[in-house]
Amino acid sequence: MTDTAGNALEVVDLRIDRVREGRLEAIVSGVNLAVARGESVGIVGESGSGKSMTARAITGLLPRGLSASGEIRYRNRNLLDLTERAWRGVRGTEIGLILQDPFTMLNPVLRCASILGESLRTQRRLDRNARRAEVLRRLAEVGIHDPAAADRYPFQLSGGMRQRVGIAAALARDPEILIADEPSTALDVTTQRETLSLIKQIQATRGMGLVLITHDLRVAFAMCDRIYVLYAGTVVEVGKPAELDAEPLHPYTQGLLLSEPPLDHRVATMFSIPGAVPNPDAVTNRCPFVDRCQWATEICSNGPVSLSTIEGDRQSACVRLPAIRAELAAVRRQAVAGAAPRQPDRLTSRLIDVRAVSKEFVHSGRTTHRALDEVSLSVGENECVGLVGESGSGKTTLARLLVGLERASAGTITIDGVDATDWSALGRADLRKLRGSVQIIFQDPYSSLDPMRSIGWTIAEAITTRSRRARNVGQRVADLLSEVGLPQSYAELRPVALSGGMRQRVAIARALATEPRLLVCDEPVSALDVSVQAQILNLIRRLHVDRGLGYLFITHDLSIVRQVSDYLYVMHRGRVVESGPTEQVLDGPKDPYTVDLLKSVPRADQSWLTSSPPGHVASSGALTRKE
Amino acid sequence: MSAVIERHLDLTRHDVRSRRRRLGLVVSICFLFVGAVVVMAIFGPLLAPQDPQAQHLALVSADPSSAHWLGTDALGRDVFSRVIVGARTAFFGPLVIALGSFTLGNVLGLLAGYHGGRVDALIMRWVDLMWSIPTLLVVIVVAGAIGASYWWAVALLVILTVPFDTRVVRGATLEQVPRPYVEAAKTLGVPGRWIVVRHIWPNISSIAIANTFLVFASSLVALAGLSFLGLGVSPGTPDWGLMLSENETLLFANPIATIVPGVMIALTATAMNLVGDWLDESLAGRGATR
Repeated sequence: MTDTAGNALEVVDLRIDRVREGRLEAIVSGVNLAVARGESVGIVGESGSGKSMTARAITGLLPRGLSASGEIRYRNRNLLDLTERAWRGVRGTEIGLILQDPFTMLNPVLRCASILGESLRTQRRLDRNARRAEVLRRLAEVGIHDPAAADRYPFQLSGGMRQRVGIAAALARDPEILIADEPSTALDVTTQRETLSLIKQIQATRGMGLVLITHDLRVAFAMCDRIYVLYAGTVVEVGKPAELDAEPLHPYTQGLLLSEPPLDHRVATMFSIPGAVPNPDAVTNRCPFVDRCQWATEICSNGPVSLSTIEGDRQSACVRLPAIRAELAAVRRQAVAGAAPRQPDRLTSRLIDVRAVSKEFVHSGRTTHRALDEVSLSVGENECVGLVGESGSGKTTLARLLVGLERASAGTITIDGVDATDWSALGRADLRKLRGSVQIIFQDPYSSLDPMRSIGWTIAEAITTRSRRARNVGQRVADLLSEVGLPQSYAELRPVALSGGMRQRVAIARALATEPRLLVCDEPVSALDVSVQAQILNLIRRLHVDRGLGYLFITHDLSIVRQVSDYLYVMHRGRVVESGPTEQVLDGPKDPYTVDLLKSVPRADQSWLTSSPPGHVASSGALTRKE
Repeated sequence: MSAVIERHLDLTRHDVRSRRRRLGLVVSICFLFVGAVVVMAIFGPLLAPQDPQAQHLALVSADPSSAHWLGTDALGRDVFSRVIVGARTAFFGPLVIALGSFTLGNVLGLLAGYHGGRVDALIMRWVDLMWSIPTLLVVIVVAGAIGASYWWAVALLVILTVPFDTRVVRGATLEQVPRPYVEAAKTLGVPGRWIVVRHIWPNISSIAIANTFLVFASSLVALAGLSFLGLGVSPGTPDWGLMLSENETLLFANPIATIVPGVMIALTATAMNLVGDWLDESLAGRGATR
């Protein structure tokens, strides 16, 4: 294939394989994409879709044991043929890379000025003063105007600031194409918007091509001119953001769109795609989405599928599209239909009553950090309460106080009539009562189950811990598993065999073993893929209805809190800044922080990025770390 | 990085693991060698072709021959038989040291790592104190005070090795304690000792077990050194360390008599170290320590 005019970078029939047990296993197959100068292209997919590997192949950074074939055309060369030595002239100079994790991306023993200094072009030798001036100019370009930042170590900077330094380093050699691999995923929502609008602004002024890799369709819609939706290693749909948003032409794209709950209204049931992302190698001979698609028929499993042009620039890999197009649209209309707002009944008895609780952490005996500052909050019997805040707001500390993993420095906590301020002072009967009242679901399902124990063992332990003489433990384990939607045979498995969503279900089953009346859910879905998040949220909502289980739902995501809570607390830097019925708070926020938070939630149009002047360091991007 | 890479790394690690689990040639040889030493340690006197204590004064410092495969020492004792019988002190002492310090070190390390605070401070200050004492000096002083004895040396070495195990186990425990699976057990009300025994220990056992093999190897060398200095086994006992020092004078008459015990010490220690490394690698896939 020849270079199409205007295309700076062209990926043709890219295939990435992993060598395993003497066999090649495809993890990406048949990916075609093109980036023109000044264009931004989005690659959207969940974990396992191969999006990061595609980015790595383009930058020549594939991990060992992986091989790429096909063509990556750039300036009349096939980048896949380059030697590592030749790559050094391309990487950074012609193609820049921004990585996801601002916490590990920068060398912790170098000051920011040294990190940037070594990234600058080596051809031009600069004396010390000129180099310093250049570093400061580069930092100013990414919105860091304080020269003192150049002399700080990465760990002294907040996550947003680190990401800015990372961007400055990626831009240091003035690349023509910038690859951004989940540049904002590890950041708070307010910081995320600042970072993304900064990238967008720099791209526009420099006229660079941008490849943005993200799992968030809304982010891609706001940032990009063209979107490639990747699923299990193949592109399933290509289109312009406005067109995709108006009418997705692949069941997966639609599912992904619907899996993001809306911010502005409550839906009757949250849409979720059943099952989990398959192994790319297992689905090379059929439509990769066939197992999770409600419209799948026999022809979907007959042979590999490929993109075909639908209209204009739009391409879809759905072979049944003409037949199901009207139905897709109907399902979408139905799924976003609103439900009546629910009025919380605050008069019910208070199961949890937190009064003026403060928590201070002492670091190395000297400095104290105030994680909670006179927080008051209550949760009633059978009530769904949301708690929203960014990292550092103290929301997780509060959750840990409620289950006795930390002890409050001041204030009182009453749970079910028991004074739970200091768990270590409680007697056996009170402890038993508290544990039967409140249980917790942790954020990370990958480490909240003992890797050495089977699922059944873990749940059985919870049952026998609750009552020593429990009978029919095996039967109760099976009941709990089926209650959280897992087959009973899973009791034999170790956690390593389960996906993140399944593990979170097991964690919920374990918590239910003590028959609690309230679950503290600490970001239970933030580590999960978008398409399975709703499965867990629906499960929690169903338990509320079936068991009368109340919950305190802690999250950073306002769209989720809109769906799951009736009453809402907003936390910022250890304080509750606003509270009230969820609809009331989200529709008419009073506190400036809540307003800011609502503005930062990704929206599918470009006004999201431009609604506040980018390039300045706002409150959340403070120079020093909050923690 | 995204989960794709993690998953990939997991899979490659799995590959590495399954490759390691198949015994390599070197590890197989090590296992065979350690097995042979174990057999000699248990059945030594039955296997030895001659009485290791019998003196043939007419045939001192003889070269290897068909009657005496490794020749004889200065008192005319059969070196080959003494090497076989000597495996007993070379194996059982270090075994007791390794098991003793494994037990005590794991208990103390888990206590310190899990409870933290004062318990941790107390145990770790004791560990620091023990580390500041020169091992050899203590053994020499004790041997001077109550007379040299093999089992006294073993007991002392147990006490002096415990801090090493304690420190390793405490470090691994500290890593596990803040993990959500431990905290989940706490919020369920699982008693602390069960959390330690049923959750934390299985997850760090690969480190503890592999560490014990290293302790075995180092205490084998330490005990041999003490015997060499006359602070271990009583004179006349067939022991590799003691043979090394007794036969030193025969270096020109019958060099085999002093080289073979030395080589046995080195090989046994090396084999144990390699087996320990192999165990560490093949067990590392288990539990939360990876």
